[in-house]
Amino acid sequence: MKSTITLSLCIAALTANLAVGAANAETFRWASSTDPQTMDPHAVNSSPVLGFLNNVYEGLVRRDQAMAIEGALAQSWEPLDDKGWRFHLRKGVKFHDGSDFTAEDVLFSYQRASSEAADTSSWFSPISEVRIVDDHTIDFLTKAPNPIFPDSIANFMIMDKGWSEANNAALPSKEVENHATLNTNGTGAFKLVDRQPGLKTVLEPHDGWWGEKQHNITRAEFTPIQNPATSVAALLSGDVDMINPVPIQDAARLKERDGVKVIDGIEARVIMLGFPHGADALKYGADAGKPNPFKDQRVRAAVSHAVNVDAILKTIMRGAAQPASQLVSPAMRGYSASLSERPAYDPELARKLLAEAGYPDGFSFGLKCPNDRYLNDEAVCQAIAAMLSQVGIKAELEAMPVRTYWPELRADNFDMYLLGWSPGTFDAEHPLRFLASTPNKEKKLGSWNFGDFSNIAIDSMLPNIQSEIDDGKRQMMLDHSAKVLQDENAYVPLYVQPLVWGARDNIDLTQRPDNFVILRWINVN
Amino acid sequence: MFAYAIRRIIQSIVVLLVVGLVAFAMFRFMGDPIDNMVGQERSTVDIERLRGELGLNDPFVVQYFNFLNNAARGNFGISYQQSRPVFDILLERAPATLELAGVSGLLAILIGIVLGVFTAIRRDGLAANTIMVVSLIGVSLPTFLIGVLLIYLFSVELDLLPSFGRGEVVKIGGWSTGFLTVSGLKALVLPAITLGLYQMTLIMRLVRSEMLEVLRQDYVRFARARGLPEKLIYFRHALKNTLIPVLTVTGLQLGSIIAFAIVTETVFQWPGIGLLFVNAIQFVDIPVMAAYLMMISVLFVCINLVVDLLYFAVDPRLRDDNAAVKI
Amino acid sequence: MIKSTITRTLDSDFLWSFRRSKLAMGSFVVVFLLLAGALFSPFIATHNPYDMTTLNLMNGFSAPMEPNAFTGDQFWLGSDGQGRDIFSTILYGLRLSLFVGFMAVAFALVLGVSMGLIAGYVGGWIGATIMRIADVQLTFPAILVAMLIFGIAKGITPVDMREEMAIWVLILAIGLSDWVQFARVVRGATLVEKNKEYVQAARLIGRHPAFIMIRHILPNVLGPVMVIATISLALAIIAEATLSYLGVGAPVTQPSLGTLIRIGQGFLFSGEWWILLFPALTLLALALSVNLLGDWLRDALNPRLR
Repeated sequence: MKSTITLSLCIAALTANLAVGAANAETFRWASSTDPQTMDPHAVNSSPVLGFLNNVYEGLVRRDQAMAIEGALAQSWEPLDDKGWRFHLRKGVKFHDGSDFTAEDVLFSYQRASSEAADTSSWFSPISEVRIVDDHTIDFLTKAPNPIFPDSIANFMIMDKGWSEANNAALPSKEVENHATLNTNGTGAFKLVDRQPGLKTVLEPHDGWWGEKQHNITRAEFTPIQNPATSVAALLSGDVDMINPVPIQDAARLKERDGVKVIDGIEARVIMLGFPHGADALKYGADAGKPNPFKDQRVRAAVSHAVNVDAILKTIMRGAAQPASQLVSPAMRGYSASLSERPAYDPELARKLLAEAGYPDGFSFGLKCPNDRYLNDEAVCQAIAAMLSQVGIKAELEAMPVRTYWPELRADNFDMYLLGWSPGTFDAEHPLRFLASTPNKEKKLGSWNFGDFSNIAIDSMLPNIQSEIDDGKRQMMLDHSAKVLQDENAYVPLYVQPLVWGARDNIDLTQRPDNFVILRWINVN
Repeated sequence: MFAYAIRRIIQSIVVLLVVGLVAFAMFRFMGDPIDNMVGQERSTVDIERLRGELGLNDPFVVQYFNFLNNAARGNFGISYQQSRPVFDILLERAPATLELAGVSGLLAILIGIVLGVFTAIRRDGLAANTIMVVSLIGVSLPTFLIGVLLIYLFSVELDLLPSFGRGEVVKIGGWSTGFLTVSGLKALVLPAITLGLYQMTLIMRLVRSEMLEVLRQDYVRFARARGLPEKLIYFRHALKNTLIPVLTVTGLQLGSIIAFAIVTETVFQWPGIGLLFVNAIQFVDIPVMAAYLMMISVLFVCINLVVDLLYFAVDPRLRDDNAAVKI
Repeated sequence: MIKSTITRTLDSDFLWSFRRSKLAMGSFVVVFLLLAGALFSPFIATHNPYDMTTLNLMNGFSAPMEPNAFTGDQFWLGSDGQGRDIFSTILYGLRLSLFVGFMAVAFALVLGVSMGLIAGYVGGWIGATIMRIADVQLTFPAILVAMLIFGIAKGITPVDMREEMAIWVLILAIGLSDWVQFARVVRGATLVEKNKEYVQAARLIGRHPAFIMIRHILPNVLGPVMVIATISLALAIIAEATLSYLGVGAPVTQPSLGTLIRIGQGFLFSGEWWILLFPALTLLALALSVNLLGDWLRDALNPRLR
């Protein structure tokens, strides 16, 4: 024991002597649980990639601090009657390598991002043609009137045609190495200076950026840290300036500690329970093989009344989240304000509904849940399983990493499942297309509708919602769809996932509901 | 001897082939890489196309054969996650793991031997007994917990050592080293202790029991009888004779230090191959996982081979082993 | 014969040395208490934490001995995030961990000892094959073996049986990664014993090899096997915890001690120290005592060290 103490004293003395001054004050170091998979803005449509590359590349339009659309590489745009949209491009914009930005680059990027090889092609399914008018004007023609097109392309990033072609990166690639997976040449406020996948990615300001500089960063270093405890430790010890996310349970303590602060908000992601609408029989638990009770709307309604969302938010979510009543959060365009009431927690009513549906003694079934995808997902599922068993339906919980979760859901291996959905377009039409439409491969509809929910009213309304120009009429249809989904209990929306970032006290930053870390709004004081 | 060596080498190659098969088979059960490679809005058509391009639709045997064929030429394919050749990634990450494993191995040997000798000499002393018990605490808690507790104590509360990563590294040729910078050395302390603790306990106990044995031998008694100083007896005569078994075990343990760096690297976000492997599991990056396992296998099999050949050379009694017993 | 073995044991130096060592006796008491607690957990625990209908989420995160802010309920060692009483959960978790540990070691022991005996006694290509399989096994860290077995088990078991399978898969995985140690030691000892006169004599008079192995060789290797088994028990319990950390452990609705620690380490920075501390202390006490017993056993069985 004595020598152990001596040893640690030695280490302490050694490290005290070796201590050196902190890194340059204007270096901003941040950490997150996931590394962007690629530096190619068209290769993978996931928020770690798009969020990171938003600092390097720019779109025709971008979202401001309040998520509203504003001009970026396009200075202005207007509809071409019902045929599409015309974009007037900003003049004098340079890429990081000094080459000029023109309409040619936009056309090239459109072709690249909508190609077979791209992961972003679904963004352009409404587009019939893209036409260059002159060097700084370009038309996007749509198959049908499309009022929300400019809103839907904030993450469509423009690449340099000359650079991409010269480096054999004219098409995105996720399978093989390609110049654009490790290198970038954007127009954004920051340029990539070092990329070590999975380890460290370094950005520096782009001196020739067209916009007005609002940050004071001279160098930004990003490190992925998977272990949540390690990332909290890194923030507390000052090894990083910001972490995203902070484990919810640590937020309260971090707020109390000197030197660090917690920035919380509401993410666009709604967490919900899904049902096997199409399955004939239960697959798990003691009642496996018996007819599927979830086909009965009353059973689904019983589930919605049996889950005490309030308790989940108070304990597991520590008051950081808000209850959800529909598939989108209140911050999204097209949210139905009149339907904001979620089913009340009422175990008696749940038991009554189950009895009416013919299950006075309940039944047992399998609940599938990811354990590394959403904030505290496993704990939430555990709590839900307990609450459901208290009204008599016994859930056998199986929690698994997300790598096996999606294949499992796609193979229909569930009796009930947990899903989180964040609409990429920030519009209520998005979940209708992916979660509520009858699955249809050719039309690319319902691709995440694992339970095969199918409703004629939703299916027939969707094309009209997509092409309606008049906001009022569009909202009426969205409200109607939301009502249908609520009445049918197609899903049981639970809560809107909170967004919790942690930062050192000397960092000023802006947090948006899309969970993007935008460096050009960060100041190191 | 020569025939034995040849036979042993052939056996080792068979072992590697089996490891390759098992490794490869294992990953087919670990989930589907495609879901990680495409975003939320991809279509089923995209998925099928990608599966075809990656050869995931080929029969299992074909996939395994392709894998072996390429692996033999040092080509482990392209990482699904990073879109770069796996071999390059492994080369890039190896220095971090080797430095960590080397330092923790060295710490384990040095401290292990010193404490082992001490506890053997003072066999029933209070200090020695305390060391024996305390050393067991280190192996009575899971590694991840020890790592997290060390971070909590030394990084967060005392603010002495960095909580994660390797600090600044210096590139010398293709090798990135953390030995040449202050932050690199500081970053090494906690992970090295976490990783080395278990081996240290092991070596300490081994040295102790070997020492106790040796100290009973006649030549040590004679040395005592001749009135040689105790220190000389312990370190010149006794320790020297305990080192052979200790080094054998240590050799075998070096391989396992590298393999078991997985947990330590995860806790400390240490950018080595263990962390690479854990990331690969999360991402179902089959080429990386397979290459990692093959690499570890080659390492283990080589160490095993050398140890066995050495034993064979040293202990003639074992030669019977391979002559079948006539029943 | 059994009776004489017992009396011989009771009279032996073995027991004498045990009574002489305070540390060994202390460890034995701790292990005994923990075993009893685990065995009788349904009677000692204040409630059954595996029964979800009794849980109240609002009871979550109660500090030890302090009434819960929402419900006013009080818990001796506090409650976890699901409102489970930590004390009861530890007892149930301990039971699960010990079960997994004992079964895994038993599995490894039987497999390892028989493989070692065969490899050492029969030798030839059979022995070589066994030892090469052992090499393959050593190549794969326990973690990977467990993941492999989990993966395969998941692929071949019917979907509705997976939850019950998890524990057995865990036992199989830990057991499989542990047998090599037994096999190596037993093989080494067998190689030495087999050339001794008494074994050769037994062979000459035509004894069946299986009889020779079990009756003559096995008793001579039991000492080291016992030592390895004891230490393996501690290792198996810790391996279970590590596997749980990597996401391939016992189901969260029926946590083992390891799962509790994995969950608890997530609350290290949030101030809910009791969720980590008490399970970790229990694990430490268990593993430390078992290790100390193994230590003492090693010395006691080695006559030259007395």
